[in-house]
Amino acid sequence: MSVDEKRVRRLIRWYPRAWRQRYGDEFAELLLADIAERPRSWSRAFDVARSGAAARLGLGGVVHSLPSHERAGARLAALVCAGSVFMLFGAAIWAQLAIGWQWSRPSAPATSAAIVLMSCLLGLCLALALVAALPVVWAVAARSAAGRGRDLVVPFALFLAGGVVAVIGARHFAAGWPGTGGHPWSHQHLLPGRLAAFAWAGTLSITSYWAHPGALLRFPADELLWMAASPVALVAAVAGGARTIRRLGLSRRVLRFELALARIASGAMIVFLAATCSWIVSGGTGPRNLFDVGAIDVAAVAAMAAALVVAWRAGSDASDALGQ
Amino acid sequence: MAKREIAGTAALILSSLAEGAKHGWALTKDIEEFAAVRLAPGTLYEALNRLEGLGLIEALPSADRRRPYQLTAAGASALRDHLTRERQVADVGLSRLSAKWGTA
Repeated sequence: MSVDEKRVRRLIRWYPRAWRQRYGDEFAELLLADIAERPRSWSRAFDVARSGAAARLGLGGVVHSLPSHERAGARLAALVCAGSVFMLFGAAIWAQLAIGWQWSRPSAPATSAAIVLMSCLLGLCLALALVAALPVVWAVAARSAAGRGRDLVVPFALFLAGGVVAVIGARHFAAGWPGTGGHPWSHQHLLPGRLAAFAWAGTLSITSYWAHPGALLRFPADELLWMAASPVALVAAVAGGARTIRRLGLSRRVLRFELALARIASGAMIVFLAATCSWIVSGGTGPRNLFDVGAIDVAAVAAMAAALVVAWRAGSDASDALGQ
Repeated sequence: MAKREIAGTAALILSSLAEGAKHGWALTKDIEEFAAVRLAPGTLYEALNRLEGLGLIEALPSADRRRPYQLTAAGASALRDHLTRERQVADVGLSRLSAKWGTA
């Protein structure tokens, strides 16, 4: 195998397996011709990486040529990925605001209203996710009981492993939650304190401390390890879950049910984003500047907006595929 | 089938295929020649996939690894509609330019 062929093989790995099976050979020929004319090109490498990542997210790839219910399943998996990214950043922001709330109410009424609204919407999204998971878990169990679950073993194991690590780790590190202010619920293991502590520990990796290595190095070693490991666990859980959904081949009835839930969740995410923007604009002071808006918060809101666009597109395409 | 709006990369690809079936590299070189636009490989195949899904182009069987694509009747109709609209805009723009700024 020539050096160019090796480069082409590396580039094509950006795309998912189904895409490679459909387009791999002809795309390799195109890349070889392109490399022969332009041996070094960062723009080509970036373009292939971007396009491959989009195909893996279900925004391109071969889903257009799949049967309608498979296409809907692929889009639903993309929607789950985008929704998870949204909720991860949303939970990180909410958990930080909840710490400030534990110490005292924010001075800006808009910030107080935003936190209350975000708490309700986070609870709604969590409930929707649990309801949405039930038919998926049932389908996995039914496939496994029928002896047809071999192709689900790896993705479902990935989902379980990532989920278990994320939950156990978040519960462990929740003990270090800084939200132990004067609120009467603190130390009483009542909501939202416990839930906020859990969300805070689960999203510890989303922090501006990464830009301040000096401060980061003063963190306890186990906490640093958790900040590096928790994103890996979360990515594994989400990727495993999405892959499981794609391989399950859910029935049209189940897909319609999941899409109905996704529509409610999308509406909740839009309002959640609006509430977050309201806090970004209103800000408001609090103890030790806990309600202040930083660059990391603006970046998180931008990531949430991008995830929402992806989720919306995936949901629309899934609806089209199901003829709704 | 409902009329499909096309633009940008899709219009370039359909215009190239209006001449006859072409594979990926032939499309790249042809578009570079007539439009002075070099479509990157990932972008080209994203568009090919989308156009195939919309039924505007179709893949042909191939003896070697390079698969040619050809325009469908729906693709030809969509391209004609698009180019007609573009020509109307171009005609109006050019005539107004001539009236106010003179000919180059």
